[in-house]
Amino acid sequence: MRKPIRMLVPLAAATLAVAMSPTPSFADHANGTFQTTLDPLNGSSGSGMATVSVAGDQATIDMSWSGLPETFMDAPYPHVQHIHIGNRGECPTPSADKNGDGIIDTVEGQPSYGAIGTTLSTKGDTSPAAGTNIKTAPGGSTLDYSRTITLSEDTLDSLAGGTGVIVVHGLDPATLSEEAANAKSNLVPELPLAATAPALCGALSSSPSGGVDTGSGSTAGVENLGMFGLGGGLLVAAGAGLVGRRRRSAMQAV
Amino acid sequence: MVRKMAMTGGRRGGLLLALAVAVAGVGLIVFAVASQQPAPPAPPSSAAGTVDPAPSASSSSPEEPKASNKQDPAQDTVEAAQETPLGPSEPESISIPAIDVRSEVFSIGKAADGSLAVPQPGPNLDKAAWFENSPTPGQPGPSVIEGHVATEESGPSIFFNLGNLRPGDEITVKREDGKTAVFTVDAVRNFDKNRFPTELVYGGNLSTPTLRLITCSNFDSSVGQHTGNLVVFSQLTDVRDS
Repeated sequence: MRKPIRMLVPLAAATLAVAMSPTPSFADHANGTFQTTLDPLNGSSGSGMATVSVAGDQATIDMSWSGLPETFMDAPYPHVQHIHIGNRGECPTPSADKNGDGIIDTVEGQPSYGAIGTTLSTKGDTSPAAGTNIKTAPGGSTLDYSRTITLSEDTLDSLAGGTGVIVVHGLDPATLSEEAANAKSNLVPELPLAATAPALCGALSSSPSGGVDTGSGSTAGVENLGMFGLGGGLLVAAGAGLVGRRRRSAMQAV
Repeated sequence: MVRKMAMTGGRRGGLLLALAVAVAGVGLIVFAVASQQPAPPAPPSSAAGTVDPAPSASSSSPEEPKASNKQDPAQDTVEAAQETPLGPSEPESISIPAIDVRSEVFSIGKAADGSLAVPQPGPNLDKAAWFENSPTPGQPGPSVIEGHVATEESGPSIFFNLGNLRPGDEITVKREDGKTAVFTVDAVRNFDKNRFPTELVYGGNLSTPTLRLITCSNFDSSVGQHTGNLVVFSQLTDVRDS
């Protein structure tokens, strides 16, 4: 009975060493760069692009967008923005507008893009809890954003699985139907629907890796082999004819 | 005499025939050499230009050659100013007058290995392809359009002469919304495939509407493969309604 225990000791020590090692080896499955364009939703006139560069559980998020509403109640319009996770990994189509008010609200969009996984705030908390905090949301009509943050395991899983979607919220009430413009947000009842409805959306996918194989063939080799062969053959024939003719005339001279 | 004359005529005839055959042979070889496809052009280092120059820097940078077709200095300033980005609309066709390229553009995704897929044998082999996860041409960020330099099936392909482009040359892309996005070449670069700068080509400046054209380069006959990628960097300088 003693022997097996003694044999187990090194194993236990090794297990302990692995458990204590600081390498986040469990969280490298999403490593790489993901990208998406940010395309308008709900009649928004904005446009943009985002990249997410992941190393372990650290991610640098670069985003640029423009064309969203500038001000809201005489202050810079807060545009809350998130990586949504865990559903189909798509941006919603007009058919997602279940109540027919002409607006795909955040809840109606969730079957397509999922729940909030990470909040892309300008500072502080990046968890889902900060999702509707307009104090740490970027404000105004344009954004150039770069922030390195720690991603949760859920968000990393979703990125690796191809179901991460970036959504930027905040519509111009003037472009909405009267019904939608006066409606309250189904997320934050003290805010109007326009403030939390999605304005830009982009499904993240991994950027292409490495070089591009845009050359299955080459023009560096010899083409027209047949023509070279035929030409050469004719030259040989002409040479042979001349030699033969000389031989004949030589014989005749004798 | 008669016999001798005939002999001479026969000799002459033989000589002429041999000569004619020889001329035909030489002619065929000369034609074969002349129609031999040269290697595709590679950019000289002077055409390298500046990748995505900042709008304010492009007119003052000494290494940035001025577009030769601009006489009005004020127009340079206008050109350096950033064109407002367009919304999303997929590309229909591309035209590069400087190298006589006109092509339909179709959408392409990634290959199973995660690299950018390339046009396959069939009706699209020699067409330009737009990477469907990149911005549409005119949207903010780097839009990516690729094409073969040469293929096994048809020899020289749509981007055979891409290496002849120089800073200042224009690339126009017609979009499904009827708008034509006009890009001006900033830089032409050659990269080793195994050191391909993925972030520079697919990422970089996300706020400026730019276009990258990609093809293959550096054919290595010892391995029978292209070992490089030629990338043309350009940015949106005009939008035309058509």
